[in-house]
Amino acid sequence: MLKIIIPTIMLMPLTWLSKKNMIWINTTTYSLLISLISLSLLNQPSNNSLNFSLMFFSDPLSAPLLVLTTWLLPLMLMASQHHLSKEPLIRKKLYITMLTMLQTFLIMTFTATELISFYILFEATLVPTLIIITRWGNQTERLNAGLYFLFYTLMGSLPLLIALISIQNLTGSLNFLLIQYWNQALPDSWSNIFLWLACMMAFMVKMPLYGLHLWLPKAHVEAPIAGSMVLAAILLKLGGYGMLRITTMLNPQTSFMAYPFLMLSLWGMIMTSSICLRQTDLKSLIAYSSVSHMALVIVAVLIQTPWSYMGATALMIAHGLTSSMLFCLANSNYERTHSRTMILARGLQTLLPLMAAWWLLASLTNLALPPSINLIGELFVVMSSFSWSNITIILMGANITITALYSLYMLITTQRGKYTHHINSIKPSFTRENALMALHMTPLLLLSLNPKIILGFTY
Amino acid sequence: MLRRALRLGLGRGLLGRGLGTWRGDSTLDWDGKVSDIKKKIQSVLPGGAWNPLYDTSHLPPEHSDVVIVGGGVLGLSVAYWLKRLEKRRGAIQVLVVERDYTYSQASTGLSVGGIRQQFSLPENIQLSLFSVDFLRNINEYLAVVDDPPLDLQFNPSGYLLLASEKGAAIMENNVKVQRQEGAKVCLMSPEQLRNKFPWINTEGVALASYGFISSSNRMETASGEEVTLKRIHEVHVKMDRSLEYQPVECAIVINAAGAWSGQIAELAGIGKGPPGTLQGTKLPVEPRKRYVYLWHCPQGPGLETPFVIDSSGAYFRREGLGNNYLGSCSPTEEEEPDPGNLEVDHGFFQDKVWPHLAQRVPAFETLKVRSAWAGYYDYNTFDQNGVVGPHPLVVNMYFATGFSGHGLQQAPAVGRAVAEMVLEGSFQTIDLNPFLFSRFYLGEKVQEHNII
Repeated sequence: MLKIIIPTIMLMPLTWLSKKNMIWINTTTYSLLISLISLSLLNQPSNNSLNFSLMFFSDPLSAPLLVLTTWLLPLMLMASQHHLSKEPLIRKKLYITMLTMLQTFLIMTFTATELISFYILFEATLVPTLIIITRWGNQTERLNAGLYFLFYTLMGSLPLLIALISIQNLTGSLNFLLIQYWNQALPDSWSNIFLWLACMMAFMVKMPLYGLHLWLPKAHVEAPIAGSMVLAAILLKLGGYGMLRITTMLNPQTSFMAYPFLMLSLWGMIMTSSICLRQTDLKSLIAYSSVSHMALVIVAVLIQTPWSYMGATALMIAHGLTSSMLFCLANSNYERTHSRTMILARGLQTLLPLMAAWWLLASLTNLALPPSINLIGELFVVMSSFSWSNITIILMGANITITALYSLYMLITTQRGKYTHHINSIKPSFTRENALMALHMTPLLLLSLNPKIILGFTY
Repeated sequence: MLRRALRLGLGRGLLGRGLGTWRGDSTLDWDGKVSDIKKKIQSVLPGGAWNPLYDTSHLPPEHSDVVIVGGGVLGLSVAYWLKRLEKRRGAIQVLVVERDYTYSQASTGLSVGGIRQQFSLPENIQLSLFSVDFLRNINEYLAVVDDPPLDLQFNPSGYLLLASEKGAAIMENNVKVQRQEGAKVCLMSPEQLRNKFPWINTEGVALASYGFISSSNRMETASGEEVTLKRIHEVHVKMDRSLEYQPVECAIVINAAGAWSGQIAELAGIGKGPPGTLQGTKLPVEPRKRYVYLWHCPQGPGLETPFVIDSSGAYFRREGLGNNYLGSCSPTEEEEPDPGNLEVDHGFFQDKVWPHLAQRVPAFETLKVRSAWAGYYDYNTFDQNGVVGPHPLVVNMYFATGFSGHGLQQAPAVGRAVAEMVLEGSFQTIDLNPFLFSRFYLGEKVQEHNII
C-alpha cells in the first residue's frame, strides 16, 4: 500500500517544485502512473482480504473503490486546467496540493484496517474538500454550501466517534479483520439501538439519505469541477463503503432498525428523481440524480443479502464514473456559455457533434442501459429488494422510468433543437476535453466485459 | 556578486538557473523577502488591511444569466417578460443595471407619454396594439397579491393625426394597413372633424385619422456602469460614487440603454472596424434632445381632447383636469438642439411651436406656458425605428433600443419579443425580423411614413 501512498504524497513536492509550464503535465502523468500501480490490486485471488501491513489491507470491496479514486485524480487535474488558467501560479499549486491531500486521505480511508484510523481519515477528507468548495467555487452561495457540507457531515459523524470508542472499550480492538471473526450478536437494549444509530448516521448523511441530503445539491453545484467530480464519484461512496463495513458488527438490530431508513430511501429515490425533471440548472440535475442512485445503494446495503451487496458495489463504481463524466460535460458547457441554465445552451449537437456523442453515452449509462455495469448494479438491487418484499418492485420500476425520463430530458434539452443565437461562437471541443470523456467512458465500457472485479466480496 | 560568480563558473549546467532561483522567481535578496513576509503577516493580523470575508451584499451578484444594461421601460419590460416566459420558476437569473436610480434623464419619464397605433409599418402597429392591451390590463400582468391595484393614469382619449393635402394619400394607405392589423382607426373629413371637435381650425386639413391610445407613468430598481468583450463574458458593474466594482459573469447582455445605447455598443466593440464592413457598422442610436412644454389655457379644448398631431409636426395633449396641456414639436434636421445637456430653449416654443398650435386651435392664441423640460429621444439616425435582436458579431449582445420616441408605446411588446428571442431562439408572436441589427449593414431601411 505504501507503494501507492508515498507516490501520492510525493505529488505535493512535485507540484511545488515544477516549472510553470510543466505543472499540469507532471502531475497528470504521475497520477496516471500511480493509478496504473493500483490496478494490480484488482487481482483478488480469494474473498479474504489482502493484508499489506497491520494498518492497510485491501479486499474485493475496497480494491475497486481504490482504483476508482486513483483513476480519478488525473481526470480531475485535466478537468481543472481551463478554469485555473487565469489564476496566479501559487494558487494553482495550492489547488493541486489540496487535491493531492484529499487523494491521500481517501486512499488511506479505503484501505484502513483500524476503524479509528478510518474515522480520522474520513473526517480529514472534509477539510480539503471544504477548502476547494469555498475558495474556488464560482458563486457567492459557495459559503453557504461549504457550511452545509461541513456541518451536516460533522454532526452525523460525531456520534460515530463515540460509538467506535465504546466498541473499542468493550472488545479491546477495532481492527476490522478481527471484528469480522469476533461477530457476536449485540444484546437487545436501548443503548445498543443508539449504538446502531450512532454508527450508521455518519454514513447515512454521507450517502446521502433522502431526509439528510440538503447539503448535496448545494455542495455539488457550487464546487468547482474537480470538487464536483471528487464529491460525486468518491466521497459519496465513502458512505456506502463505511456502511458495508460497519453493518457486520451491528446484528441483529439491523433487521428492525433498518426499516425507517429503507422507507426513506425507497421513497427518496422517487422524489429526487422527480425533482430532476423540474430542474433548470444542469449541475443541480446531476446532483439530484446522484442522490437518487445512492438511495438505491442504501436500500441494497440495508437488506444485507449477497446479491444486494454485489449490486451495491457495482452501482457505486458505475455511478462514480458516470456522475463524474456528467459533471465534466456540464462543466464544458459552463466554460463556454458562463451559465449553468440548461435552456441557455441548447442545440449543441449541431455545433459540437463529438461532444454530443459523449453526452449520449453518459446519458445512456446514467439511465442504466444494458450491458453497462450501471444496469448490473441496478438490476441486482431491484432483484434483491423484490425478494425482500414484493411491493418494492413498483417503486423501483417507477424510479427506473423516471431516471430514464430525466436523463433523456437532459440530453434532449442540451443537445437537440435549434441552437440559441448566442452560442454560435463557442470554441470547439478541446482534445483535453475529449480525452477526459474517453478516459471516463473506457473503464465503464470495458468493465461491462468483466464485471466480476467490481461485484465485491459476495461474488 | 556571488550569483554572478556562480553563473560564470558553472555556466548553463545544472545550476544554470542560479542558486535559489528554483522556487518561482526568488533571488538571494533575503532582506526584501523578509520584509515582504513581515508585511503580509501584519496585514493578516487583526487591524490589518486583508479582510477576506467582507460583506458584499450591497454589490450585484457575481453571476447572472442575463444582464440588462439600462433600467428604463424597455429594460424592465425585457426583464419582466424573461421571467414570465421562462418555463420553470427560477430558470433564468436576470440582473438589471441602471446608472441613475432617480431616472432623472430617462426618456420615458420625461416624455409626453402618448401611445398610438397609427403607424405605417405593420410590425409597429402590432407592437403598439399589444402594448395598449398590456397597459389596459396592467393588473393582469403586474398586479402583486395583497397590494392595491396599479393605477397607471392610463387615459384613453384617442389620437388625432392631421394630414395636409400632400400627406392625405399616405395617411389613407396607412389607415388601410392599420385596419388590416386590427387597430381601431377611423378616417374623418374636415366637416366631420369640425363636428366632433369644434375647437379645431380645419384649414389645410384634408384628412384626419382618429385612433385609440393614451398616456401613462411609473417603475423601479438597481445601479452601475461597465466594460465588455466580444463574447461578453463579464459585465463590470461599478457602484455609484465609489471605487467598488463587481464583475458579473453573464451569458447574455441586453442593451436597453436608451439614448446612451450607442456608447454601450461601442464599449462592446461594435463599430470598431473599417467603415463599410460589418465590424465597422456602428449602432446608429444617439441621444437627441426634445423639448416638452406645459401650458395653461382656460378657453382651450375640453375633456374630450385627443392627442392631436398637426400636419406641421406640432402636437399636444390634455394634461389633467385643469385646462393644462402638454405639447411640443419635433425640430427639423437643421435646428437640432445640442444633446449635451437638458436645458430648455423657450425661444423654440415661441418661434416654432406656438404659431402652429395657434393656427390649428384658435383658442391657443391666449395660452400661458407654465413649465418646460427637455428629454432625450434614443434617436435611430438610420431609419428612426427600433433595433431589436442579437448583433451578428458580438454574439451574446441583444438590442432593445433605438425607438426614437416610441419606446413607451412599444415597450411591453418589444420586451416580449426579446424574451422570446432569448428563450426560444426566434420571434414567436410578432415577427420583428425587419428590425434586426443587420439592416444597418445591408442598408435596408424600414421607414415609417409619418414620424414625429
